[in-house]
Amino acid sequence: MAEAGRGTAPGGTAAGPGRVLVAVYAVFALAAGARAGVQLATRFAEAPVAYLLSALAAVVYVVATVALARGGRRVALAAITVELVGVLVVGTLSLTDRAAFPDETVWSAFGRGYGYVPLVLPVLGLLWLRRQGRAAGRG
Amino acid sequence: MGAMNAVLVWSATTVAALVALAGLASTAARRRIGLVHLAGAAVLEVLLLVQAVVAAVALAGGQRPPETATFVGYLAGVVLLPVAGVLWSRTEPSRWAGTVLAVASLVTLVMVWRLVQLWEAPGG
Repeated sequence: MAEAGRGTAPGGTAAGPGRVLVAVYAVFALAAGARAGVQLATRFAEAPVAYLLSALAAVVYVVATVALARGGRRVALAAITVELVGVLVVGTLSLTDRAAFPDETVWSAFGRGYGYVPLVLPVLGLLWLRRQGRAAGRG
Repeated sequence: MGAMNAVLVWSATTVAALVALAGLASTAARRRIGLVHLAGAAVLEVLLLVQAVVAAVALAGGQRPPETATFVGYLAGVVLLPVAGVLWSRTEPSRWAGTVLAVASLVTLVMVWRLVQLWEAPGG
């Protein structure tokens, strides 16, 4: 019964290790969403750019979660690529331009507040999609 | 710890850590999750629900952490996590079900301590 459902089956990106990935993405979708919601609702005027990026992060995590869970490889690939670029750009900006990022977002300082998981997650996601793609290509 | 009961917090921490270890162990052993995992998650859920009631009573009694909305959000989220973890892992037919449950348990653990932090945070 081990490793069932891997390969070309629909939802293959959500099987096996992919299921763990979906779980972690779902947690970040919730964490980023809640955080962005509070920031936009209570102090949007303080740092609109930072908080809009925070909201973008939330949207990216939601899209990636749904795409991975339902086996939408292209959408997942796009979302995770945006996520990787986002965490690198926001991570760098939050360190070099502190004034523009007065409050923590999930991507601040490369996700330091979240054990750097936001930095590792897109890399794991892309590796997983690549492995899935190869499995599908062979099948 | 105010509304966060020390006994409940430490019990939840211990149970969450044990469930996480059991989950990772089943992945390492290439096995699916079993009754032990479900029982552990159930105990964790009960502890979280009791803690949620304790906190709700404190909130209703007029005690307020500085960021009440965030605190309530975490409180609502944390009681859903073990349930979500069990549901998402039970439909996984491979050994990775244990890791899913471990992730849910570890996030629960972190959130419980975030709740303690939020409650004790200095006002302002």
